[in-house]
Amino acid sequence: MSLRSYISLKDVVFSRTGRRIFDGVTMDIPRGKITAIMGPSGTGKTTLLRLIGGQLQPDSGDITVNGQSVPKLRRKELYALREKMGMLFQSGALFTDLSVFENVAFPMRVHTKLPEDMIHDIVLMKLEAVGLRGARQLMPSELSGGMTRRVALARSIALDPELIMYDEPFTGQDPIAMGVLVKLISDLNSSMGLTSVLVSHDVQESLSICHYACIIADGKVIGAGTPAELQVHPSEQVQQFLQGHPDGPVPFHYPSSVATEDFGLAGGVS
Amino acid sequence: MIDRIASFGRSGLELVVSIGRAGRFLAGVLSGVPRPATGFPLLVKQLYSVGVLSLAIVVVSGLFIGMVLGLQGYTILSDFGSEAAIGQMIALTLVRELGPVVTALLFAGRAGSALTAEIGLMKATEQLSSLEMMGVDPLRRVIAPRLWAGFIAMPVLAIIFSMVGIWGGMLVGVDWLGVFEGSYWGNMQASVDFFDDVVNGVIKSIVFGFVCAWIAVYQGYDCVPTSAGISSATTKTVVYSSLAVLGLDFVLTAVMFGNF
Repeated sequence: MSLRSYISLKDVVFSRTGRRIFDGVTMDIPRGKITAIMGPSGTGKTTLLRLIGGQLQPDSGDITVNGQSVPKLRRKELYALREKMGMLFQSGALFTDLSVFENVAFPMRVHTKLPEDMIHDIVLMKLEAVGLRGARQLMPSELSGGMTRRVALARSIALDPELIMYDEPFTGQDPIAMGVLVKLISDLNSSMGLTSVLVSHDVQESLSICHYACIIADGKVIGAGTPAELQVHPSEQVQQFLQGHPDGPVPFHYPSSVATEDFGLAGGVS
Repeated sequence: MIDRIASFGRSGLELVVSIGRAGRFLAGVLSGVPRPATGFPLLVKQLYSVGVLSLAIVVVSGLFIGMVLGLQGYTILSDFGSEAAIGQMIALTLVRELGPVVTALLFAGRAGSALTAEIGLMKATEQLSSLEMMGVDPLRRVIAPRLWAGFIAMPVLAIIFSMVGIWGGMLVGVDWLGVFEGSYWGNMQASVDFFDDVVNGVIKSIVFGFVCAWIAVYQGYDCVPTSAGISSATTKTVVYSSLAVLGLDFVLTAVMFGNF
């Protein structure tokens, strides 16, 4: 692991229910930068975040976060490491029985012994950062999808983490909400000096704010580099993904038997 | 034929794996010592939702079952001219059997299914994952208070059920059918033994409480996080809890009262 890397994956192999998800993934995620991990749906991008967070164990290979080997950590050490991580889930994952204020205050109440008035002020500051100070009394059921993610973002930065992982933050957002999230991710990274890992398949939004990007497909890293480097990457598969071509190395048709057989026609071609 | 044998074997293996997972899950829940400052308020909250909110159904059911026992007992015992023994019959039936068993069945239907659905939905909406990623163990924060609440609430609910049932039996037997009140309470006092009957009944309800709460929280935690998965887990909670309660009741009864 180089000094500049905050997260390092080395030859990570991971299978689930008999299916090989990662087949020797190696990548370095630099400290203090935004790294986008992109790839078609179903390639295991969220699984990669769960491996980094220690919620899943790789079959082989190593994952280090800030110099600590995550698969080898004991339970207590792993939970201590997670206190330095924030994660924004695709659904927001707010606690539905707590108000916006209490959701953001939750990590502080659990992990710190700060006095109530200080928690109050910090929560309001975090909510101010995502533009939702005025929504602190609302319940999660009263929030729109974009607001839910902003509250979840405020909660994930409540303990001032070193690392924040975003799981598909732009999915299902209207253009305004998407613009807000893009700005927030970029601003938080620069103002707090965070290491950010952004998992997404929204190419334009991700490339517009990331410093580095990695494209995963078929269980491997097929392309990595700065956004400018990726735009001229020689791999056809990378270009198909970035340009959104419907056919190419990733075929339009799902593998199937010969068409004439399915249509009940003897002879002919598929 | 071979396929059937293989399928049977696979089902057996899945059952063993499932029991093993449930055991590991239980060990994980019970292994951590909760901090009183954070654990106690969570326990109180769950005691309210699991115990206090189950009071209405337990009290109403206890009342009606006691009244039915009064009616049936009077009809049967009056044939032998021993309707004065109705008090002891109602008390022994409720304290030894119906109190713990019916309360456990009601608990599984009312609180157990709610626990499973709540935890399953927390899993489906990634709330459990988000707790883990915040460095908070969901087994200790979410599961343990619910398990302990079920464990504590069940014996209390069963005692309330039996008390209300005995009162319901008195309403019918004494106030309506005219059994002498002194006989009702006197026979009960003479025949119900505190340790052999009351304590054994409470022990039964403690066991049922533990099993019902364990099944409910495990099914929620282990469910497939989809609508169909949560629905299936909720059904399993009620079915498995009911079968476990009835099966264990036979075993416990044989051990406690089987001095033949």
